[in-house]
Order: sequence, then structure tokens, then C-alpha cells
Amino acid sequence: MITLKNIEKVYQTKSIETVALHNVNLEIPKGEFVSIMGPSGCGKSTLLNIMGLLDEPTNGLVEIDGTPISNYRDKQLARLRNQKLGFVFQSYHLINDLSVLDNVELPLLYRSGTSASETRRLALTALEKVGLSARTKHFPSQLSGGQRQRVAIARALIGQPEIILADEPTGNLDSVMGEEIMNILLNLNRIDGTTIVMVTHDENMAHKTGRLIRFFDGQQVSDAKTATYNFQQV
Amino acid sequence: MIRHLFKLIWNRKKSNFLLITEIFICFLVLFGVLSLVVYNVRNYTKPLGFEHENVWLLTMRPSTDSSALNHQNLEQVLQRLHAFPEIEHVSLSSSNAPFAFSQMNNNLSYGNVKDLMADFYEVEDDYDEVMQLQVREGRWFAPQDNASHHEPIVINKALQQQLFGEEDALGKVIPVNDSTNYQVVGITDYFRAGSEFAAEGPAFFTRINLQKNPNSFWNEVLIRVKPGTGIDFEEKMVKQLSAIGKDWAMEVSTLEKMRQNKAKLTLVPMIALGLVCAFLILNVALGLFGVLWYNINSRHGEIGLRRALGAASGQIYRQFIGEVLVLATLGLLLGVVFAVQLPLLQVFEIESVVYTIAIVGAVAIIYLLTVICAFYPSRQAAAIHPAVALHEE
Repeated sequence: MITLKNIEKVYQTKSIETVALHNVNLEIPKGEFVSIMGPSGCGKSTLLNIMGLLDEPTNGLVEIDGTPISNYRDKQLARLRNQKLGFVFQSYHLINDLSVLDNVELPLLYRSGTSASETRRLALTALEKVGLSARTKHFPSQLSGGQRQRVAIARALIGQPEIILADEPTGNLDSVMGEEIMNILLNLNRIDGTTIVMVTHDENMAHKTGRLIRFFDGQQVSDAKTATYNFQQV
Repeated sequence: MIRHLFKLIWNRKKSNFLLITEIFICFLVLFGVLSLVVYNVRNYTKPLGFEHENVWLLTMRPSTDSSALNHQNLEQVLQRLHAFPEIEHVSLSSSNAPFAFSQMNNNLSYGNVKDLMADFYEVEDDYDEVMQLQVREGRWFAPQDNASHHEPIVINKALQQQLFGEEDALGKVIPVNDSTNYQVVGITDYFRAGSEFAAEGPAFFTRINLQKNPNSFWNEVLIRVKPGTGIDFEEKMVKQLSAIGKDWAMEVSTLEKMRQNKAKLTLVPMIALGLVCAFLILNVALGLFGVLWYNINSRHGEIGLRRALGAASGQIYRQFIGEVLVLATLGLLLGVVFAVQLPLLQVFEIESVVYTIAIVGAVAIIYLLTVICAFYPSRQAAAIHPAVALHEE
């Protein structure tokens, strides 16, 4: 599904060169739930951005479904992000001036061929899936943190992406809310077969996923299946 | 996308209120100035109805109160003027000669039309030659009018339309008072003597008959000189005329100079207003630019999010341009609602087409202005790297 080969990412300023990722090789197969852990500044988010086609590696190759995307232009990358990827962020990234429903509909705004009524239907379905169908007309400021993250997940789901990239989705939530969000993601992976790559600082959350990759100083230091991941937990 | 933009602007109505108000006020000022410009330009492009080149205006101010003596001298002056080989035609005129700062008008009534105010010009039989007037129907004044029972008048097209409508005006008798009636003997195409920028109003000419008015005096003479006649002749002429009207003050001016003076009267306030308007537009442009710049800088997170959700940089660019256009549209809609009242209520009795052109022009300028102001900030927004934008948030 996603393949990273010899990925390097170097941030260059006039006087400093910072290596964010060094020689990263990863393969994320379809249907897997992968968590990425590591201390702050180890390159987790940079890796997620590269996987999400939001950033380009300095060196190395990114393949989506076996196709290298290094020669893709901005429009092609945008289309790929829109059709194959869904994003969930730690700080939710909801547009405060749009209602819950309008926020969820956003990805389909950039996809041609979906009628307004179909978009509305899909948005309501996505909100129902995360248990927020009663809050469609609310604005983000009227919601709790957990509800906002559920809206963000519904927004990631509306385009029926094959991969969800979640950057610390429970990072701003208390443990109960965090559990709720984690259960939604686990359900998506288990029931819908959505591939999920999640960056987290939480060991407990990471161990609920199928595979745990650890990073340190921009390098992948471990990659292992987790023992506790099973369907019964969901 | 348009629906989305309207929704976004509507939901941000509080923060966009001032910007919409600014665009609304800018539109109103621009509309006002453009209305004035369009009105004047349209008038300027219309024919005056006469040729002012090589026409001089001689103004005489007698020093004595003796009407008979003044009249006698006036006849001698006219005879002398006719004798100059440099002069082609001469006509006495009332004080409202073309481009003069003087106006004479009278109310006319005919049929259902009551008290129609029209400019009138007292002139001699040679006036049509002096001013090279074109008579469209009927004829100009002629000696045969001496025997006329009614006072002959020549009217312009505007007066014909307003007083007689579709009726044939020639030969029509217009009562003036118990003893006098006007009779229309001719109709000119155009006659706009006030200024090149003035609209054509109803006007008519009455005939000066020196013989019939032995104690009357007209102190203005319009003279058509031969092309190329210059200041040397003017000096010679004034010298010789001064010998007839001893102690008379005489002044010669060309209609060209008078035209320029009259034009300044319209152009100076128009240019001043234009400068004020340009200054306002510059301020609005800077304001728009600043607000957009600030907006974009405070919306990096949203830009990053939209890129992550599948927006290409071109779509971000178009979104910001679109938002500004929606804002402009809201301000303009409000402005247009006010502006259309002027043609609907026939304010200032100006043709509706002037207001229509001004509205369309002001709308086009505001749209152009907003697009220009939004161009650079929107391009900057489109160039923001999505990962950087999301990280900043």
C-alpha cells in the first residue's frame, strides 16, 4: 500500500542542516494498523507528512500501491491525497466558521462528480459512524475535544480513503475520550479494513495496534508486531 | 465551491462587515464621480450645433445714458464692422453669447405643456452665418420677417420635442402675452451654447430688429472673421470703433478663449473629485491588501488542512480570490441597490443611461481592484507548503 525506500529528510537553513529522517525503509500493507512512537523531534510527524504526500523527502522513494510518486505534480498529489488518504490531527484542524456538517463535507469539495445531495448523505453517514449525527449544525467551538476529534475522523472518512494517517489523535484528550477515539479507529481498521498509520506518544494506545515502529533521532530503531492486538479488544 | 465561499463569508460576517462597508462606500463615491464623468463626456461628444472657431465677441459699454445716441452709434459701429474686409459676418447678440457666463430664459406654454423653461437668444439675421448654424426645418430669420404679424422665433430640436412632441412645429403660434405671440419659422438640429459639457436644453432665438427698436441697445456683437485674422486686426478694429463710440469701453474676446474658460469651470471640480476618488480607491486598495494579507497569515492552518484534504495550490489561490470577489459582490449589491434609485427616481433629470454606465463602470473597477489586491496574497497562500502550514498551527 505505502512503501518508503531509503527515505532521507534534511531541513536546510543558511547555517544549520538538520537531519529529520535517515535511511527509512518501510512497507505498510493494506489493512494494517501501524503505530509509530518515539520521543519528540525524532521525525515521526515528518514521516507521516511524507507518507501523506504533504512533504517531499530529500532523498528516497515513496510508492503508493506500487507506483512511485516522485514525478507527480501538485495536482496529481492533491488528487491522490483526496482519493486515497484521510488525515486526523492532534489539534483536530476544524474550520471554526463552518458547522460540523460543512467541516465533514470539505474533502468532497475537492472531488468532482459528487452532487451536493450525495455529499450531504455521505457526511451524515460518516457522522453517524462516529456517533455525532445529533450535532450536525453545531460549530466546533460548541463541542468537546473528543467530539471535535470525532468530527475530524468523520471528515477523514467521508471520502472513503484506503489509508488514514493520524498524528497523535488522542494527544489532546483525556483517557476516556482517548479510548473512545481509539475504539473508533480500531473499528475502522477491523470492520472496514482501512489501513491506519498512527503517530502516538501513548504506549497503551500503541499496543492496541497491530504493529509498532519506534523511531529515534530520525532513524527507525524497531518494528514489531504487537502481542495484544486482537479482534476481541475492539 | 461558490456556495461554500458564500457560506464561509456569511459565517464570518462580523469580521467581514467593515470590509464590505468599505467596498460599499468606495462604490458609492466611484459611482458618483463616474456619473459626473459619463454625463460630461456624453455631452462633450454631442455636437454643439455651431462653429466657434474664428468668431470674436465684441463687448461695448457706452459711457452715456442717452439711448438715442447710443443706438445711433451702435448702427455706425455695425456699418463699420461690415466694411472691414477681414470680417465675413456680424450679428448683434444678447448678453448670453455662446460660452458666456450669462443666461436668459423664458417660460413657454403650448397646448398641455405649461411653463416650459427655455433659454432664449436675441440675435440678428446674420447670426446663422456668424455661428454657421444648421437649420433643419423651415428657415432662419430674413427681412421678410419685418412684415410678420407675430414675432418670429427659431427653436432647437429639444424645444420642439418638449413643447410640440410629435406635432409639426413649423408655423405654430405660441402666445407670450396679450400683445405678443411667437411664431416658429425654423428648427435647428442642436444648440448648446452654455458649455461643451452642458446638456442640450430647450432653446429658441428671437430676432433683433434695430429699425423697430430705435431706443434699444445691445452691447454684444458676434463677429466671424476670415481664417488667419489675428491680433493686429483686433487692435485696428477696436481703434476705429473707439472713434465712433467715444469713451465707450470695448473688449474683444474669442469664443475659443471663452470656451476654454467655460470648460475649466467643469473640468477643475471634476479633476478635483477624481483625485479625491483616486485617493479613496488607493486607501481602499491598501486596506483590502492589508486585510487579505492578515487573513491569509492567520489562516495558515486552514490552508494546510485544505491542501491535506485534496486541494491543489491552484484551488487555494482561486478560493482566496473567490472569497474577495464574494465580499466585493456583497458590498456592490448593497451599493447597486442605492445607486439604481437615482435612475428610477429620475434624480437630477439625467438620462438613465448615464447612471447605468456609471454603475457598470464602478462595479467593474471595484471587481478589478479587489482582484488586483487579492492577487499577491492569494498567490502567497497558494505557495504555502502544506506540511509547514499544518505544523505552524
